[in-house]
Amino acid sequence: MSDTGVIHDIGYQRYEGVRLGRGASFLALYIHGLRAAFGFGRSAKAKIFPWLVAGIMLLVAVILAAVRSQLDQVIFTYVEYDDQMSWLVIFFVAILAPELLSRDIRSGTLPLYFSRPLRAADYVGAKFAAMVTAVWLLLGVPQLIMFLGAAFTTKTGASGVWNEFLDLAPGWGYSLLWALLFSSIGLLVASLTGKRAFAAGGIVAVFLITTPVVGVLSILTSTTANHLAGLASPMTLIAGVGNWISGGDSEMSMPIGRFGPVYAIEAVCLIAACLLLLLARYRKVAAL
Amino acid sequence: MSTVALITARGLFGQRRVLILLPLPLLLIGLAAICRAYDVPADQWGAAVIIGLGFAVVLPVVSLIVGTGVLGSEVDDGTLVHILTKPLARRDIILAKYLVAAVASAVTAAVPLFVAGVLADGATFGTALAVAAVVGAFAYSALFVLLSLLTRRPVLLGLVYILVWEGLLGRFLSGTRVLSIEQYVITIADRIAPTTILPTQVGIGTAIVMSAVFVVVCTVVAINRLGSFSLAGETS
Repeated sequence: MSDTGVIHDIGYQRYEGVRLGRGASFLALYIHGLRAAFGFGRSAKAKIFPWLVAGIMLLVAVILAAVRSQLDQVIFTYVEYDDQMSWLVIFFVAILAPELLSRDIRSGTLPLYFSRPLRAADYVGAKFAAMVTAVWLLLGVPQLIMFLGAAFTTKTGASGVWNEFLDLAPGWGYSLLWALLFSSIGLLVASLTGKRAFAAGGIVAVFLITTPVVGVLSILTSTTANHLAGLASPMTLIAGVGNWISGGDSEMSMPIGRFGPVYAIEAVCLIAACLLLLLARYRKVAAL
Repeated sequence: MSTVALITARGLFGQRRVLILLPLPLLLIGLAAICRAYDVPADQWGAAVIIGLGFAVVLPVVSLIVGTGVLGSEVDDGTLVHILTKPLARRDIILAKYLVAAVASAVTAAVPLFVAGVLADGATFGTALAVAAVVGAFAYSALFVLLSLLTRRPVLLGLVYILVWEGLLGRFLSGTRVLSIEQYVITIADRIAPTTILPTQVGIGTAIVMSAVFVVVCTVVAINRLGSFSLAGETS
């Protein structure tokens, strides 16, 4: 009886193909996340909620485009469209973020992911990118429909189309801002629990409870407090940033006074803070 | 029946997630206190705090978390089968769980609303808000307990009701207000202690009758539904 162990070759076939690195797993996670966002590759039940939201948004855009082309009336501009649809965007985020993160926690796939050459930053980055793309598509495609409706009925030829496009581009940028901020907050909440139901409730609660705070701050007697009120809620924060970038000429939206830069700084810091917290959250799982 | 209630209450309060019920009421009281401290007239901040936060967010969201938690989490974990195999009428199981959910949400929502009401307009108004919140908690809990038996995604469906039905459509279409618990609650509170703070959209008779209808119909359907409940496997 010898103590030295022998590894017998029992004839398993070895893998000799190309080993794809981190980039490939990042891309795979991104594509998988984006498909999951709209329920592709999942059962019909998983498609109900995302497509309910997307359907309403598309329907509104088609109606707006039709009114624009037939009656030549602008009900919502591209930027206003985002603001008006904010409740649906919240709902979409509440569906999507738990779908992307809580599912992995619940089904215990995280240790499997991190046994690959995948870092925590890659995982968070891929999920964040997928979610930003999904939310941006949710807002950007209806805006494109509105643009097409306006562009095909323009009476001034190519310059009319170009002018319309110059209106659309800031609208797309504004949608990207929505997508970045809402995705980071939603993913952070969703990463805390493995139960999709609680994650969805938590995300909606975060967005809903901050709205009345703005309402209260904006009726206080101090003008400074009124101008800073929008900082308390993600939705008014974005509106404030948009207001500042567009030069603050829209008197119908919220007043921000001379505090525009504060809004922009807070938006950037909020996104960065959420992403850093997400990274910190996944540091421990990555070490497992 | 009392054992079921005890287990449900322990499942509800024995876990960390009960802590997420705390910030909402605290925020409500805090905002009311800030407004009071700055001497803002009550009819200016009352609508924003009491309706915008209290009746539109705190009451439904707390009822949603609690109401779907008492049955939904047992369905998810598969522990419901242990209760179902006991020699208990399904009616008693539903009633015990429903009462725990309703009482828990009623306390969580009524206490901060009472404080906010006292800060706004005095003790009578506070009591009116608390009574209305209790009625609302019972109606919402019945609805959400039923939802957790009808679908595997009760929280999402409940959010659709709160956000889209009561939040979005209630603002634009007056017809949906007849089926909106939020409007009943506001009406009942305003009728007990009439002030200029709360705008009423439905009649008091409609409010009381429809609240009772919500409680009774949802509970009966839930009992019926649990009677023929089958444990399905994991789906999407």
